[in-house]
Amino acid sequence: MKSICRSFTEEPDSLFQTVSVLVKGHDRAVLDSYEFFVTLAAKELGVTLHRVFEPPKNIERLTLLKSIHIFKKHRVQYEMRTHFRRIELSHVTGSTARVYLEYIQRNLPEGVAMEVSKTAMEKIPEHILEPMWKDQPTDKNSNSKNATLFTFCFGILDHMMK
Amino acid sequence: MATHTCKVLLSLGRMKSPAFTPHSPLGRVTYATALSTNRPNSNKGFTDGGNRGGPRKKRISWVRESGEPRTEKMAVDQDWTAVYPAWAPFRHGSVPLPVRMGKPMRGGVPPEKKGNLELIKIPNFLHLTPAAIKKHCDALKPFCTEWPSALESDAVCDELFPIKLKSSDYVHAGTSLRNPSARIVHLKVKLSSLNLDDHARKKMIKLLGDRYCKQTDTINITTDSCPLKQQNNDYAMYLLTVLYHESWKTEAWEAEKTVADMEEYCWEDSPSQKNILDTFVGMKVVEEGDAEAVREVVLGRPEVQEYRDSVTRLKNEGESESTMLQYREAVRKLFNL
Repeated sequence: MKSICRSFTEEPDSLFQTVSVLVKGHDRAVLDSYEFFVTLAAKELGVTLHRVFEPPKNIERLTLLKSIHIFKKHRVQYEMRTHFRRIELSHVTGSTARVYLEYIQRNLPEGVAMEVSKTAMEKIPEHILEPMWKDQPTDKNSNSKNATLFTFCFGILDHMMK
Repeated sequence: MATHTCKVLLSLGRMKSPAFTPHSPLGRVTYATALSTNRPNSNKGFTDGGNRGGPRKKRISWVRESGEPRTEKMAVDQDWTAVYPAWAPFRHGSVPLPVRMGKPMRGGVPPEKKGNLELIKIPNFLHLTPAAIKKHCDALKPFCTEWPSALESDAVCDELFPIKLKSSDYVHAGTSLRNPSARIVHLKVKLSSLNLDDHARKKMIKLLGDRYCKQTDTINITTDSCPLKQQNNDYAMYLLTVLYHESWKTEAWEAEKTVADMEEYCWEDSPSQKNILDTFVGMKVVEEGDAEAVREVVLGRPEVQEYRDSVTRLKNEGESESTMLQYREAVRKLFNL
């Protein structure tokens, strides 16, 4: 067996509460096959499937003149059907999401588009836990708005750059 | 064109003089006459047409007869992942399935797979059979990480990680791979998860305006002013920071807050309190005399407290059965009805 080269980083893995994949195509059969592939891949990689369903299709119809000149009564109609499939995954880590989504996207069939919506969860950052005015003396609060805004901006920059 | 060249070569092979010059020393024109002649019943193909042209039986050497398709030699338990390891167009000789595709002719069946363009046009998933998917996932599994077991339910997640950042990515084919909607970032936080006191909370809600939803108590900030997603991300966090710190400050002009600016109904200094005081203090002052002390006594009475609670609840929560009933009971008790 070949040894797998993996790199480890110290930064914590991001956490996604939901990852929603919407696939759009003109052919329903292609989306059916793709859904089978996506669900099987999720099961194999251990990604929890929250919901897999088919939003209603969208039909765009055009009515155009059949002839290039006159003959207004004779028209031709075209339509473009867009079928959808939504696959919602829940509780996915950043690494797993990256691996799974890259696998899914590399095997996307021709003529199919995809939209991925990720909802990342984050802790409240340190600079929002306590108000900064507790450290600074109160005389800075009272004066003109311009002065406070000026000192405030610097204060914020200090906190954000820490 | 190919037929002409092959005829030329043949005729050259038969000619004795190798020179291909227009003026030969014999004065005879030695052009390859095969160029001009075109056999009237020449076949476009390479068959000899039943020996019509004479003793010429030789076939064109580079045309081989196609052998039997590979499907005949395929075992039933072969490794399909080796036949189609990556995406490849549909090859009728490599797919051992009796597939038919296309519109059937009148009284006929859909055309067979040999030479069928319809089967080549459609997207195929022959490289993504369950066996292949399992192989791929086994190779990808070491790069995945597990979800922490402590964060089982959504409630725990919301408690420990209150900030939610939503963004979208788009995959599509076109003249450009970029999608301008990919830069949009939505930030959602519950107001109750931030460390705010009463004044700060009210000021924050006033600053947020439309971005605060009262029913779900969430702040929704949508940023799309920067060209990149990371920049919009940072901007959203910056806005949250600014809002938080600004709401803790008390400006000088905030002292000018009027009753109309108040978010909730406050019974102190309201017309309702004045009415109660006018009604009861007047009676008591006649008996006891001291206005201030009487006022305190009147306000301290349990019926007045109950009346205060019912009016506050009615004004804040709106009219409903329970609030109206409570108000009715409080008024009854107050006037001993």
